[in-house]
Amino acid sequence: MRVPLNWLREYIDIQLDPEQLAERLTLLGMEVKGIEAWGADWRSVVVGELLTVVRHPRADRLSLTTVDVGAGQVLEIVCGATNIAPGQRVPVALPGAVLPGGRRIERAEKMGVVSNGMLCSGDELNLTSDVDGILILPPGTPLGTELSNLYGDTVLDIDVKPNRGDALSLVGLAREVSIVTGAPVRFPEIGLVESGQPTSELLSISVEEPGLCRRFVARWLSAVKVGPAPDVVQVRLQAAGMRPISNVVDASNYVMLELGKPTHTFDAAAVHDHRLVVRRARAGERLETLDHVQRDLAVEDLVVADAAGPLAIAGIIGGASSEVSERTTAVIIESAIFDPLAIRRTGQRYALRSEASLRFEKGQEFRLARIAADRVAGLIAEWAGASVAAGRADSAAAEPGPTQVPFRPARIDRLLGTQLGPGEQRAILARAEIATEAPNGPATIPIAGEVKPLTATAGLGEALIAVIPSWRADLEIESDVAEEVARVLGYQKIPPILPHTAMPPYLDSPLGVRDLVRQTLAGAGLTEVVTAALIAPRQVEAFRSATPAGPALPGDDPAEGRPIRAVNALSSEHAVLRQQLLAGLLQVVALNLHQGREDVAIFEIGKGYGYDEASGLIREWWRLGFALTGASQPPAWNRISRPWELDDGKGLVELIADRLGFAPPAWTRLVGEPVFHPGRSASGASEGALVGRVGELHPALRATEDLRAERIVIGEFALRGLAGGSPTVANIVPIARYPAIERDLAVVVGQDRTAGEVERTIRSAGGGLLRGVRLFDIYTGPPLGADEHSLAYRLIFQASDRTLTDAEIETTLAAIRAGLAREAGGRIRA
Amino acid sequence: MDLTSLSSELHRLRDAALASVAAARSSATLELLDVEVLGKKGSLTAVLRGIGSLPPDDRPRVGAVANEVRASIEAALAERRATLRVAELADRLATEAVDVTTPGRPIGRGALHPIIETMGRIAEIFGRFGFIVHEGPEVEDDLTNFQMLNIAPDHPARDLWDTLYVDVPGHLLRTHTSPLQIRVMQAHRPPIRALLPGRVFRYEAVDASHASEFFQVEGLMVDEGTTMGDLRGLLDEFSRAMFGHDKRTRFRPGYYPFTEPSVAFDVECLVCAGSGCPACSRTGWMTILGAGMVHPVVLQHGGLDPERYQGFAFGMGVERIANLRHGVGDLRLYTENDLRFLEQFR
Repeated sequence: MRVPLNWLREYIDIQLDPEQLAERLTLLGMEVKGIEAWGADWRSVVVGELLTVVRHPRADRLSLTTVDVGAGQVLEIVCGATNIAPGQRVPVALPGAVLPGGRRIERAEKMGVVSNGMLCSGDELNLTSDVDGILILPPGTPLGTELSNLYGDTVLDIDVKPNRGDALSLVGLAREVSIVTGAPVRFPEIGLVESGQPTSELLSISVEEPGLCRRFVARWLSAVKVGPAPDVVQVRLQAAGMRPISNVVDASNYVMLELGKPTHTFDAAAVHDHRLVVRRARAGERLETLDHVQRDLAVEDLVVADAAGPLAIAGIIGGASSEVSERTTAVIIESAIFDPLAIRRTGQRYALRSEASLRFEKGQEFRLARIAADRVAGLIAEWAGASVAAGRADSAAAEPGPTQVPFRPARIDRLLGTQLGPGEQRAILARAEIATEAPNGPATIPIAGEVKPLTATAGLGEALIAVIPSWRADLEIESDVAEEVARVLGYQKIPPILPHTAMPPYLDSPLGVRDLVRQTLAGAGLTEVVTAALIAPRQVEAFRSATPAGPALPGDDPAEGRPIRAVNALSSEHAVLRQQLLAGLLQVVALNLHQGREDVAIFEIGKGYGYDEASGLIREWWRLGFALTGASQPPAWNRISRPWELDDGKGLVELIADRLGFAPPAWTRLVGEPVFHPGRSASGASEGALVGRVGELHPALRATEDLRAERIVIGEFALRGLAGGSPTVANIVPIARYPAIERDLAVVVGQDRTAGEVERTIRSAGGGLLRGVRLFDIYTGPPLGADEHSLAYRLIFQASDRTLTDAEIETTLAAIRAGLAREAGGRIRA
Repeated sequence: MDLTSLSSELHRLRDAALASVAAARSSATLELLDVEVLGKKGSLTAVLRGIGSLPPDDRPRVGAVANEVRASIEAALAERRATLRVAELADRLATEAVDVTTPGRPIGRGALHPIIETMGRIAEIFGRFGFIVHEGPEVEDDLTNFQMLNIAPDHPARDLWDTLYVDVPGHLLRTHTSPLQIRVMQAHRPPIRALLPGRVFRYEAVDASHASEFFQVEGLMVDEGTTMGDLRGLLDEFSRAMFGHDKRTRFRPGYYPFTEPSVAFDVECLVCAGSGCPACSRTGWMTILGAGMVHPVVLQHGGLDPERYQGFAFGMGVERIANLRHGVGDLRLYTENDLRFLEQFR
């Protein structure tokens, strides 16, 4: 809410400078977001007095004026307005002046006469809405004074929280200032003079939906002369961010900002039978609203109607047919209390959120319906010469007394960590106009409100009763009173301490395993990225797995279910929750390649999401993804550059498996996954601990994903512990006391035999003495057959209880050779 | 051969050997000399073969001369050997010299993402005070995301969270980490000290200061005696750990439907140190988190008796903390993943 301080001073004296005031209000919970020097953009605009006004010799519509701008300086200025006369005081923009909107005024020739500046209209200065006439200042306005010194103001931009609708008003904020300074609040004097026929004979009202309209007050004004509101009013409205319209509409807006109570004015001539009905809209009803939009009304909408149909959407916007215009002579003021939720729903339906609906949504003080109707009537009488009919039409004239909230001062001290006691708490609450009384018996303390009501009983002497001012609907339960105590006291006065209560039992952090993986990969040269969970539908489809992901790892969700779509996504690029990380990773690769980067090695640990319609379960599973392209190590003059390859991807996965204490993954050929190069991709699995895929990106996707790289290695893996749990603890075996013996073995097999198969055969034939198998060479070429390759292994033999003899090793090697010949058709190279 | 001629033969041999040793220019020459003179087939052995022809009485005397000759040659060899070794090592070191001013062979270095790192740092700081990390679903139900947090449907405070809804009935993308308060209270009994990090979503157009996905960290502490003073003390410690000991903090009223009293927590502007600048809207303060005492209704929804239990919750945007810490001005940098940005965090 924009708060012009000169206007606020109408309701309270303020000695603090704006910065101090802003800080004090912020510390009270009325956060000041900005302090604006309003009118600071009227540079070199001063008060002048018109000495002469004569017709321009060559232009009928222009006048030549001489203007005294103080200190004996007289300027000749050409002016196009017709409302000027000698003796008037007017704003003069001197040459060099800059007006709102950046308009620069210079000495200029107009039809052969030099004009040394410009006389300004209220509109040109953003002071009033008058476009045609020069702003005529009061006769006593001091000559030569800078206009900003007269009309400039400081405007505070205050963020009023949703629970404090009462403070969306100058009076409400004056009450907050009063809490800070102790100065009394001056509530506006209504000063209403009624005359003539009573309202009850002129006007009738009927509320058909009392649940949605708790009170409807109306007043009748006749002999209204619609015209501009007084300049000072227009200036205030402008400073508060509202455009002045006419004395009648401005009176309504002025009171809305002053008291926080929206009202509406109807041209009484447009109201059939002078009868207003508050009802729900009927099917098929339409209304042309003030913004000249034809709106089809919904049957949930609350309207104010006459016999002919709706006149206004209640609390949201008026209708064009009953708008107050220059021809209006009689006005009906509506001052109602509508249901906040109904207003909110209707406002959302039409995407119409006005200053009025904003206030209705936050709830309205009951008695303000009456007070605001009187106040608006009084102002229209004053500004538009209207006579106010006697009395009001009022659907619920009985006003309830203040609510009472019993509270326990000791409980409040216990919550806040203070030792204020009842006396000090009463004094604090009194500053916010909250009276307190001691109950004369046990009190029922409201602990929780509407949703799950809960009360406690306090014995005699334990409780006080807070008598809540009618405008403070936010104070309902004991903890609301606690907040009020704390805020009036000042949160800064709550002594800081460190927790010294009981600790919770230990639990592993789910971040533990993730951090291990992250640090391992960063150490291996990969950079961590965080990509969006919401991606484009196209990406979800392009990277969808053709084969099932397999069972979930312990502690994690299975990767199953259909993609989940955001129904109100702002962008089609971010509309569906991802099911894998690869699309996002490749987008990052593409972006960096476009930046001219050649070497990109990135990883992400993130979630995939799915909705299993059959079980009704939402699944969120954790994955590690990576993408590698370009050189596998930083370029250097002392190293031959080598690109990232499939084997590097597998190596990274093996490194992580090793780091997490998992068995080394077994690799098998990956088939039928269109994202991967069919000849250069593998499934990797380590039972119950690790499962996933790694391979080169299928070349066809380089084009669709806009990737300017020859080869990209990608991988995505589920790892035990990503979703939570502790890393595997290493279980140490004693270092062997007997020597290990190494033997090399080269086996020639057909190229359709994979290294994985050969190694499995060696291991199963080697038995318990074979402790290690390491592939160290693959050879193809003469003298081998064209479809053969030779795999060379270093085998490590060891026993834990003795030194192995040559005979034992030879026996084992013979078994391995036999196994290879049998299982893989292999022969042993010399 | 007689004693005299044999002795003089030995002395001649000695003199010749010593001269050769002195003249040797390399260890290899020296070793060759060693074998030629002192070896089994060497010249000294050859001379000593003549001993057998001497009378028995003379043999010990020639033996003595022979030992003396051998010893002096060995000594000369050893001395010359040492000298040559030093010289040869020096030669080798000289030839092995390289240009030491060339750059080293670089080791691949990765970087860790600033958001995940900042989240980890927050968890570490609160971990020191006994807070335990819990996580929960990002596709959340309306009940837990809003209603159990005292935000009824059509509550005006819903304007504070622009929500992305999904095509699963009753569900949405969680707008904050606060629903985890409910989940933790339902799953664990007090004393509770929980730290709740994770991704959140908003229906929001993306620009330098708005994101549709970002990360939050929520904290929750509930037991029988946790006060607003504990909250203030803890947040002060957090600010010290995250932003430095010299930064002033400010504890002031805020508004959330799920806390009462509600708190906004400010730290002195890190750009202008409190004197007022555009970064802090000339207030001298930057709001880093929201907090408050858990609302009784929220405790009830968590299955706890608000007459017995009380506590606080706080929530912060990880990007905001990272912005302040690292001087980052544009949220989009975190999601774009330009390596020129990320690699600065090594």
